[in-house]
Amino acid sequence: MAAVSQAGESERQIVVFTLGTEAYGVDIASVREIIVMQKITPVPRTPEFVQGIINLRGRVIPVLDLRKHFGFDVKPPDKDQRIVVTDVDGEIVGVIVDSVFSVMRVPQSAIEPPSPMVTGPEAQYLTGIAKTEDKLIILLDISKIITDAEKRMLKEIDLAHAVLDEGDS
Amino acid sequence: MPPAPIEDSEEFRIFLDELGEMVELTEANLVELEKSPGDPGLISEVFRAMHTIKGGAATLGLEDGVKVTHAMETLLDEVRSGSRQLDSSMVDLLFSVLDWLKVWRDALSAGLSHPSPVSLLESIEEFSSSGALGPGPKRTAAVSGAWESETSLPPPLKEAIESALARGKTPAVLKVRFRRGAPLLSVRAYQVITYADEIADVLGSVPSAEDIEKDAVGEELSVYFVPAEKGDALVGAVSSVTDVSSASVEPVGLQGSTEAGASHRSPEELQSLAHHTGGGGRPVPEEPATALEISAGSSGGGRGSVAQGGPQTQRQGEAAPGHSGDASTGTGEGSKQAGTPTPANDAPVVRKTDLGRTVRVDVSLLDFLMDTVGELVIQRTRLTQIASKLQAEDETAAAGQDIGTLAAHLQRISQELQEGIMRARLLPLKNIFAKFPRLIRDLSAKCGKQVRFEMTGEDTELDRTVIEAIDDPLIHILRNAVDHGIETPEERRKKGKPPEGLIRLSAWHQENHVLIQVEDDGAGVDVEKVKEAAVKKGLMSREAVSNLDEKQALELIFLPGFSTAEKPTEVSGRGVGMDVVRENLQRVNGTVEVRTRRGHGTTVSLRLPLTVAIMRALLVLAGGWVYAVPTSSVEEVVDFSGKTLQTIQGKPTIVVRGRVFPLVSLQGVLEGDMWNVGKSCQYALLTRNGKNLMALAVDDLIGEEEIVVKEMGRLLSRVRGVAGATILADGDPAIILDVNYLV
Repeated sequence: MAAVSQAGESERQIVVFTLGTEAYGVDIASVREIIVMQKITPVPRTPEFVQGIINLRGRVIPVLDLRKHFGFDVKPPDKDQRIVVTDVDGEIVGVIVDSVFSVMRVPQSAIEPPSPMVTGPEAQYLTGIAKTEDKLIILLDISKIITDAEKRMLKEIDLAHAVLDEGDS
Repeated sequence: MPPAPIEDSEEFRIFLDELGEMVELTEANLVELEKSPGDPGLISEVFRAMHTIKGGAATLGLEDGVKVTHAMETLLDEVRSGSRQLDSSMVDLLFSVLDWLKVWRDALSAGLSHPSPVSLLESIEEFSSSGALGPGPKRTAAVSGAWESETSLPPPLKEAIESALARGKTPAVLKVRFRRGAPLLSVRAYQVITYADEIADVLGSVPSAEDIEKDAVGEELSVYFVPAEKGDALVGAVSSVTDVSSASVEPVGLQGSTEAGASHRSPEELQSLAHHTGGGGRPVPEEPATALEISAGSSGGGRGSVAQGGPQTQRQGEAAPGHSGDASTGTGEGSKQAGTPTPANDAPVVRKTDLGRTVRVDVSLLDFLMDTVGELVIQRTRLTQIASKLQAEDETAAAGQDIGTLAAHLQRISQELQEGIMRARLLPLKNIFAKFPRLIRDLSAKCGKQVRFEMTGEDTELDRTVIEAIDDPLIHILRNAVDHGIETPEERRKKGKPPEGLIRLSAWHQENHVLIQVEDDGAGVDVEKVKEAAVKKGLMSREAVSNLDEKQALELIFLPGFSTAEKPTEVSGRGVGMDVVRENLQRVNGTVEVRTRRGHGTTVSLRLPLTVAIMRALLVLAGGWVYAVPTSSVEEVVDFSGKTLQTIQGKPTIVVRGRVFPLVSLQGVLEGDMWNVGKSCQYALLTRNGKNLMALAVDDLIGEEEIVVKEMGRLLSRVRGVAGATILADGDPAIILDVNYLV
């Protein structure tokens, strides 16, 4: 979300997390809360990147593994892992990340448009690159990640249905 | 140009709601009107609805709506005055007006541009220029002018009164006061004038009709009319208009107001008046006088001591024109001013509208309450567990017992709370039934059939989610009944049936369920044709089909991709089949069943749970995870440990009392290897999916419980075999399985 700093310069607040060796950032407006890793109940017949469901204060929400979604290597669970609970148009989805670094204010001037530097599978969700003193933060569009996950889900589920239906007859 | 409508305003939303209600009401009235074309009550109802919509639209500057309703109102007025006959072509025209209004309303509520009414207006114009019996008498003497006291009435009104006096009539004025701050005052004012015009001849009003159209309306309205004798009836009638806080009648002498002859009515008389004339036939059950004051009687305590509107009406007659104390302030001021000698008036004056018996609640709030209560139930279960743990340890047994008692108490409270919230989610079936008479009318016209449609039980209440889920299925079933069920009049005659077919839609409670039935007296389902179609569509082999009995064959129509129609018609061939009907019902734990008698008709029965948020389920363990299986889909649980399994064609089976159940492992089914029944499996759930029997092997049984069904969000809403999730006593979520779609 854009805000104006004391110097009068417009800035963005981003939640910075890590995945592998890279630092990523998402707009704080789409993040509802960050919770520690907990027991996740698997949901059968879903793609691998759907880790399962958790109980968020009486509400059942799906949790995605961002590593699997991006096609990165799977990492054994550790105590640094967090679930970033995102809220995109009222749809609450948890996203597992390696660790959460901080919430940062980044002046708009320090944000560069998407560059061909980022070439991984996450490139399609790129909205820009924030330069801070010590690192580069890859800014991601979380709503696009979620809608894309939804599309993948539907595709794989429809495939599964087709296979099952064939098996029936 | 009128100001642009403010889509977010309260008035706008109220208007949209009212528009929806009016359209629905009118639709029902039109269907009735077709059966009894001359009914003046119905015509008045339709007229009034148009008028109300027009008023609301004018207030909000929605010109197109004003034009359409005004044009229709003019036509209807001709019918009312007898200069035009209401025939079927006019009813059709009215239906197309309603259709336009519906589209218009949808567009307004979505903030979209709406279709132009030009062609509709043209057809109304064309219609009105033909077929009138003669020039309709002008009924309303429209007058202009701002609010002034009677001694300085606007000239046109003065003239009208003078001419009435000259003709030997006795004019009088009906003074109406609206609740302070009430929305849509101009619409209410319109309503008052319309009601008055039905009973007496209206000479004019202050503010004038034109000012009302411009929304220049205050809390007071004076309607001048002849003859004065109709005054009592008028007071009774307008009292039923929403937000009217008082109404009184005074005679009119042009020299000013006089007190003599003001309509003094005892409360009882007034109450009975309100009952008799209230609303002029508008169905407002239980609440004939929505906005009348009630002074709660302290004496007697019986019904007779409740005085509705009495003191206010009298006061209006005695006080200076239009400026008695504000009726809506209630308590102190109100009762002091009333000054009538009855002791009952020391009691505070309360207004019925303020103490309305219902409130509107956002559904998301109910969902939130439901979730929160669900949490409460879970915490309570934990408390019970702690209590039993403590009781097991000797030294804390007493404390454990206390906590146990507390937990039991909590259980009762949370259960009541839960039931209360679930009841709050109930809606009458009327919400979806209301549109069916029109649907049947249009369909039967399109198919060239004659259908009598009967409807009962529309007040039966169901959870709103269930109501939503059955809307489309019911439309589909009714369509089928008209299109495939009822025969053409000629066919029916040939069969010796009356040419008019009957479709009966009924709903009623049965224990914890609601049953909805659609019966027709048509041709019935041709089972052989069904079998033939199933073979032709490749759904089943000819051999397999020939072995089916009639009941089993009827089940075929629920298969995906099935439709008996030789060629899909405009009416029922819309790609929705009975499979979708069944699927929709299953989503809310309902069932659908078809019975038919060749030549005599078909009955489709829907069986629905009252609520969906809670279900009984068996909690089972498979592959280390807990799953909930709805108890309704489990016939029996058997312990097969230590028994040798029989195999048929290499596949494990269980035979229970002569019935053969193929045995599949739940874990295997979920992981795609269903015949792999591991050594860990000990119990089998015997289930039935249509005619398919199946035994689901699980590792362990945890127990049967009432579980709260949770949605898992859009992302996981379409997983096959997964109906949702629930939260277990330990706080972990568990998957609820849908046995029908597991395999």
